[in-house]
Amino acid sequence: MDDNIVIKLSGLTKRYGYGDTASFALKDFDLTIKRGEFVMIMGPSGCGKTTLLNIIGLLDRATDGEYILNGEDVSDISSSRQARLRAKKIGFIFQDFNLIQNLTVIENVALPLVYVNRPRTVRLKAASAALNRFHLSEREYYRPSQLSGGQQQRVAIARAIVSDPEIILADEPTGNLDSRSSSIVMDELKAIHEEGNTIIMVTHNPSLTVYATRVINMLDGQIDTDVKTVADYNLPQPISIKTKKRRGRNKISSKEISRKENF
Amino acid sequence: MSLLLRTHLRLARASIKQNRTRSFLTCLGIAIGIASITLILSLTGSISNLISQEVVNIGSDLIVVRPSRSKETVTSIVEELTSANSFERSSLSLVDVSAISAVEGVTAVAPIAVSTNTLVNETNTIPSATIIGTTPDFYTVEPLALKYGVFLSDKNSDNAIVIGHELALNLYNTSNPVGRTLTFYGQRFIVVGVLEEIDSTVNFDNINFNNALFMDIETMEQLMDFVQIQQINVRALNTSLLEPISSNITTTLKENRYGDTNFSVAYGDAISHPASSLLNIISGMLALVAGISLVVGGVGIMNIMLVSVSERTHEIGIRKAVGASAYNILMQFLFEAFILSILGSILGIFLGYLLAFLVSLVTPFSPYISWVILVVTVLTTLAIGIIFGTYPALKAARKRPIDSLRHYQ
Repeated sequence: MDDNIVIKLSGLTKRYGYGDTASFALKDFDLTIKRGEFVMIMGPSGCGKTTLLNIIGLLDRATDGEYILNGEDVSDISSSRQARLRAKKIGFIFQDFNLIQNLTVIENVALPLVYVNRPRTVRLKAASAALNRFHLSEREYYRPSQLSGGQQQRVAIARAIVSDPEIILADEPTGNLDSRSSSIVMDELKAIHEEGNTIIMVTHNPSLTVYATRVINMLDGQIDTDVKTVADYNLPQPISIKTKKRRGRNKISSKEISRKENF
Repeated sequence: MSLLLRTHLRLARASIKQNRTRSFLTCLGIAIGIASITLILSLTGSISNLISQEVVNIGSDLIVVRPSRSKETVTSIVEELTSANSFERSSLSLVDVSAISAVEGVTAVAPIAVSTNTLVNETNTIPSATIIGTTPDFYTVEPLALKYGVFLSDKNSDNAIVIGHELALNLYNTSNPVGRTLTFYGQRFIVVGVLEEIDSTVNFDNINFNNALFMDIETMEQLMDFVQIQQINVRALNTSLLEPISSNITTTLKENRYGDTNFSVAYGDAISHPASSLLNIISGMLALVAGISLVVGGVGIMNIMLVSVSERTHEIGIRKAVGASAYNILMQFLFEAFILSILGSILGIFLGYLLAFLVSLVTPFSPYISWVILVVTVLTTLAIGIIFGTYPALKAARKRPIDSLRHYQ
């Protein structure tokens, strides 16, 4: 038993359509991701990368199979529970940034905290700290449209980490950026990863795999190759705050263990 | 929880600000509906105020005897006001008048018998002028004042008459025609007094005293063979005796007529009962019509909210992706509809009172403000906000996050 398992997918299947027209985006998919991994998922278009990311991010549901997130079976939870977990445990980074144009940069970054009921001042302080980290402090009250693509993506990364999530999901975060902005964004992601965060990233760009600790190639809804570039014990260890959190989590996993032993 | 509510409030405010024109037009729809309701309630409120004020002016110690049963149901009130009732033969007679005078605690009895005739003097002819046959007590019962001369009294000869201010001017081209003569019913009469101009807009006797002629009721009966007594106004010794005196009057009249009860005795607010009942019916109907315009305003809100939801599908997707639940999204849009309708109602109340004020400039109806009107309008708008905001908000809440994210901005 490894307490450090964040995501465990077993027999995950996503089917679109029925009968003769049925097509599978994911077919009997198994995957285990540990804390501190930086996983890159590659593969041709339509191989099910984005579907996988959406299911891991609780934006979508699998047709079949089991998904255990942090020791909690989330395969059949209600959509409001999904929303709560999205707010607390998952940070999203999208290819087209997905910032709300009507809100200022700082309001965009603070948005996830709205849905975990933080007071406004706390939200803005946290957002400000996150922006400061990405050298965007002077841009706090700009609108997203007044920023360059690279800056917008950094705002999106700030939004993804502001609520201190368990996993960060990135769907081609550099897809819309030039190479200079791309490398800045990737350096930021690397820095976040080195602090002990788990990152799962979908990409088309093979040159980015140098940042990853594990590269998964997908084909037709299944894993084609799965290569670990860094040994498990070399994974970055979470910083102190995270350790505190983990103590609580250990209790949950020990319960999990005893439950399984009773079978 | 309140934290999230505040956040929703702020979000709604921001989104309303962003679409200023659209929000204003939506509010205007609600505002027009609310303005018409406010105006109607304000006007009817001011009219019923005038009516009760009239009752107060005439005196709280007044008892009114009318020649028919008091009407309670809506249909009978409408019937009374619309049928040719005034041409029916009145059940009240001079015998009743003297019977009422004999009741203990009664200080003055003034019958009102209305007739019309052509008035002729040396210079002018006035066709179908209002002639009121009454007793000298009329002067003490009604709030009247004399400008010149004296009122009818037992000391005057039978052919003495008193005329209203306006009638004096019309007949004699002077405001003081005391001592001049006038011919009607084929007989000559002498003007002994002229009334002060009365500035009373609503008169529950339904007669304009300024343009009327007053004569002795007994003389009137002699000339016309019978008199139509429309009403008998009775003044009681004091207010506390109103109840026993009016029941005494009822028993006395009943005995006089061998048990016939085709008359009514009223005092206090009951005097204005038929008029206020009709007013209530009319104002209810008008409010209903105004309510329809409010519904149209509500549909406007729903329309705009639906547009807003589909315009902001992408935003909904983002919000859901970062952790908003369906409930959060529902509340966000419901709040927006709510705020639009509340802004509309505030605008509407102002607009309504502005209209009421403008109306008051050309009519005697002063704007009538009461908390009842405010509560009614605010509750109505809240209901409108909920009813017409729910569907778009539900639609927003039910959107699937992936589909919404794919929806381009």
